[in-house]
Amino acid sequence: MSDLVIETAGLRKEFHGRKGGLRVAVQNLDLAVPAGGVHGFLGPNGSGKTTTIRMLLGLARPTAGTMALFGRSVPDHLPEVIGRVGAVVESPKFSPNFSGRLNLELLAGAIGAPRGAVDAAVEMVNLTGRDGDRYKSYSLGMKQRLAIAATLLKQPDLLILDEPTNGLDPAGIREIRETIRSLGESGVTVLLSSHILAEVQQVCTSATIIGNGRLLASGTVDDLLGTSSLHRVVTPDPERAAAVLGAAGLSVTPSDGVLRVEADDAGAITRALGEADIWLTELTPLRPDLETFFLQLTDADKLGA
Amino acid sequence: MLRLIRVELRRLLHRRAVLVLLAAAVLLPLAIAVGVGVDTRPPGDDEVAVATEQLERDLDSKQTQRQLRRCIEHPQEWGIAVNLGDAELREECEATALPQLDWYLWFQPLDLAEQRDEGSGILVALVVAMLLMVAGTTFAGHDWSSGSVANQVLFEPRRGRLWAAKAVALLVTSFVAAAVVHTGYWLGLNALADHRDQPHGGALLADCLQFGLRAAAVAAAAAILGFALTMLFRSTVATLGIVFGVALAGGMVLAVVGVSDLWNPAFNLWAVIANGATYAVEVSCPPPSASGELCYEDRVLSLTRGATYVGSVIVVAALGSVLSFRRRDIG
Repeated sequence: MSDLVIETAGLRKEFHGRKGGLRVAVQNLDLAVPAGGVHGFLGPNGSGKTTTIRMLLGLARPTAGTMALFGRSVPDHLPEVIGRVGAVVESPKFSPNFSGRLNLELLAGAIGAPRGAVDAAVEMVNLTGRDGDRYKSYSLGMKQRLAIAATLLKQPDLLILDEPTNGLDPAGIREIRETIRSLGESGVTVLLSSHILAEVQQVCTSATIIGNGRLLASGTVDDLLGTSSLHRVVTPDPERAAAVLGAAGLSVTPSDGVLRVEADDAGAITRALGEADIWLTELTPLRPDLETFFLQLTDADKLGA
Repeated sequence: MLRLIRVELRRLLHRRAVLVLLAAAVLLPLAIAVGVGVDTRPPGDDEVAVATEQLERDLDSKQTQRQLRRCIEHPQEWGIAVNLGDAELREECEATALPQLDWYLWFQPLDLAEQRDEGSGILVALVVAMLLMVAGTTFAGHDWSSGSVANQVLFEPRRGRLWAAKAVALLVTSFVAAAVVHTGYWLGLNALADHRDQPHGGALLADCLQFGLRAAAVAAAAAILGFALTMLFRSTVATLGIVFGVALAGGMVLAVVGVSDLWNPAFNLWAVIANGATYAVEVSCPPPSASGELCYEDRVLSLTRGATYVGSVIVVAALGSVLSFRRRDIG
């Protein structure tokens, strides 16, 4: 095995319905998550993201294929590596009548976490003062924060978060996003499963996209989106600017007073306009966003399926 | 493993439903003990005074006097010898035909052996076992209904160990709780019997305490059965439905089908608690009875046989439960 933190090969999961029907949730999935950074795990609802995560964590058995965490095959060697893995799968699940603190203490007790681990985790997710309240009295955001606190009890090297911002208000989403980003920067590998594409694009360094249980694309976010030479150019005199840029050998498409200019180097645009004494009011690289890319992939997958 | 057991013990003792059931397992036997104490209470001075008044009224009644005269005139009708002297005959007839004070003050004295074999001991054993079985069921059922079992597996993926830790915590708690309740129950009745100058202590008390410990073992087994089945079915309601269905209808179904009491679950449980139980089987009558006539013969179901039966049921349920828990996906 390599230095990949998560690796699956030919992973497959079938569910047998009560009426004898067969549903394939994950099929022949090869997943590779390198160490460090935040890795997005994208896919429409029902694409097999949560099922894949559940298999990785030993909550579900694969029908076929192999999986490894930190180079150790799982589920056989899961007990050896689970101490390095923190995870929130779907909605947080705790005993509703226990306090948040008691829930954490029980989990900490199971792994022999050091004294103070619960305090530190509670503080890190800003639940201090409410940790003694019953879990069932928590808002959805507090429940999510408690779930993240539980993952931090292990001081994990790998954090698997399945839709961690579900139900959070904008401030909560931002807070969790910052936490994820800082964890990724601190050396923790984060696998972030989400359908909020803007969130993934903001936080993730790499991503895997799946649809109908199959791998559609994988790589760094930049690689996935590709580099674009298209720029949006706004000037007070678009007609003259178009002529100048055209004369400089650049391809220009005017549209409603705005120019779309193809240039490998944005400097060529500013230089040409500057020399003609035309000053820019806007120069924006037009990069395809992850949402567009994702929708293209998943639509194509639907057509192919 | 010890760490895990401590965690599960803490989880168990923080469950409100479990605490309520444990409290009920203490309070209901206490209420039964109070009921036994009241039922076997010797008459007080007030009751003796009322009875004496009633006796005097009845002695003065014409009917009573008529009875006395009839006894003196026809002593043979009352089973009294006819050759007694007048004074002796009157004395005999007064003792036989006239109401006595005891008749108005009848009570069942506290008898530990009777309480153990035919009285409240069975009821207490049944109540404690049922409550602890529900406690075992709710302990596991809550984990499934809240989904927290998935979280627990994320921290201890060796599911067999997790199952075992929960079972050990439950077993220890339920046995200790049941043993304390049963021991307290019998020590309480023993103290009451001592206070009332009834037979108590010594071998009698030792027998009762042993009865209590066997009942505690059965209660712990019931708790484990409830837990194991709930881990298997992942539903408190399903487990309770099955267990109470078997408890209520199992014996009847076996009887209708014609299966011997030897295989009746309740009878085997009773054999464990009571250190053996007697049951009747149909056998061919010995000659010169008519051919085909059936007679009954008493046989003993031993403690060992009962314990083997009950133990086998628990082991089969536990094995099925562990295997299922280890293999099935957790939602």
